[in-house]
Amino acid sequence: MTAIVVGEKEDDIAEALTVARQAGDVAVLAFGDSSPQALAEYGHKVYHLTASDPESVFTALRKLYDDLKPLLVVAPTTKNLKDALSRLAGIYDIPMATEVYDVKVGQGSVSYRRGFLSGRAIESDEAPMPAVLLLAAHKNPKASKAGQKAEVVELQTAQGRVKSVERMPKQKGGTNIEAAEIIVSAGRGFRSKEDLKLAFDLADVLGAQIGCSRPIAADLKWLSEDHWVGLSGHKVAPKLYIAIGISGAPQHLAGITDAKLVVAINNDKSAPIFKNCDYGVVADLYQFVPLLTKRLKERLKR
Amino acid sequence: MGDLVVLLKPALNPEMIRGTGEGLVDFDYMPLKLSDIDRNAVEEAVRLKNTYFKDSKIWSISVVTWGPVTKRDKDVRMAVQEGLAKGVDEAIIVADDSGVPGDPVTTASAIVAAIKKFNISPTLILGGEATIDGFSGQVTGRVAAKLDLPYISFARKIDIVDGSRIRAERDVEDYVDVVEAPLPAVVSVTREINAPRPPTLIQIRMASKKPQHVVKFNDLADVVKPKRRLVEARVLAVKRKQIIVEGKTPEEIADKLIDALISEGAIRV
Repeated sequence: MTAIVVGEKEDDIAEALTVARQAGDVAVLAFGDSSPQALAEYGHKVYHLTASDPESVFTALRKLYDDLKPLLVVAPTTKNLKDALSRLAGIYDIPMATEVYDVKVGQGSVSYRRGFLSGRAIESDEAPMPAVLLLAAHKNPKASKAGQKAEVVELQTAQGRVKSVERMPKQKGGTNIEAAEIIVSAGRGFRSKEDLKLAFDLADVLGAQIGCSRPIAADLKWLSEDHWVGLSGHKVAPKLYIAIGISGAPQHLAGITDAKLVVAINNDKSAPIFKNCDYGVVADLYQFVPLLTKRLKERLKR
Repeated sequence: MGDLVVLLKPALNPEMIRGTGEGLVDFDYMPLKLSDIDRNAVEEAVRLKNTYFKDSKIWSISVVTWGPVTKRDKDVRMAVQEGLAKGVDEAIIVADDSGVPGDPVTTASAIVAAIKKFNISPTLILGGEATIDGFSGQVTGRVAAKLDLPYISFARKIDIVDGSRIRAERDVEDYVDVVEAPLPAVVSVTREINAPRPPTLIQIRMASKKPQHVVKFNDLADVVKPKRRLVEARVLAVKRKQIIVEGKTPEEIADKLIDALISEGAIRV
């Protein structure tokens, strides 16, 4: 029995190894910026590909898959790996699932759980192996390194049909919203980019990170996409989430299901966010937020 | 010149979720609707046709993944109708009770089989980046691989160059990749690619006159039956307190809210 782990970042690969080791022997396909020598310390043979585009990863993986005939292909859930691995799953008509956790390898089949219906339900599935599993982040423990360093094999990149013409890095706000303890999040209730200062001021007092709903990042581009909370943005798990001027679209709510405490400030008392918060304040954010910031400053003596 | 194909999924509407007494998802109660991002895919197909492929036809292919098929017929027709009203010329619906609950393995093989059955030679196959129910974003990639066509995922902008190549902006986590590939190709689009317009009344009326074909697996070759088994789907009960903080003055409300946050341990004085 074998499994192939595919990934770029060491943390992702270490989480995938924990799952893949259930299937027996593991080979690692590391691509892009990964460090193959460091990965070899986990004790599994590392195949390294310098390219990171999905077509190159798919081509390399397909060859490895044909050679090793694994029961499982395990990877983190990223957009490029959804692309590459869905092609592999398509070629061989094998099951594939994304954002999975609680993976249990049985006799000839694998079971797992994953979010479903835009984050409103959890599905439990069973799929025959071979199968392709893309893991949810931070839900599996990281594997430990082995005593012995394994072999590293450098792979050649084959010429593909989809050619990259230009790569434009995204503007980064320097935020890691997924790891934030407190998040102050802004939505369409703010009338201009300048007005976001009200949220920034509150965040300052609380030592919070700034989050936002989809329109603020994707449509208006008032904040960079690393602030975007939601199903297509980032899933967050802070102990306090303050949603200001956010109505609570299902995709946004799906991003905050792991938040411990949700506070909503909105002037529309029928906004769905009030059914999905712990504490709600029905008020004009332009009046209430500065006041809340002021009172917090006084009481926290900051 | 070949045709354009757009993949339209009648998906479970997550906003209409309801649980049974045991907290399981009550599938029978939940209606289907056209998956949101597939709406962007049709809009883009229509735009590309009008800009670059005036003589091409737009086909839509919908595979029914939630059953029983007869019970879902009305919802499926509504979803397909929406595509026709927006500019799809001819629609194919694959509905078979042995294909529910669905599996992307089955969906992708049924799409490929339908393309062959109706002798479609696609220039471009478009779909949403993911559907609102399963949200795994794998069907377009599977279709590309099965047809051995170039695949461009997560496109937020598409242009056609010299009538023979596609240039697209792929929107991934850390960067945007501008890529080019020869046509024919398969593309998945993001919500950001366009702003779908609702069809006009005339378009809606015209839609019902357009050809629609309903086929079963037996009418198609090589449809793979579902492999994944949905063991259970449980409604995610995130219990929030839903306390509305009230007071005579905004100051009082602010103070009450701060008190609550302190007693919850969310902030420390």
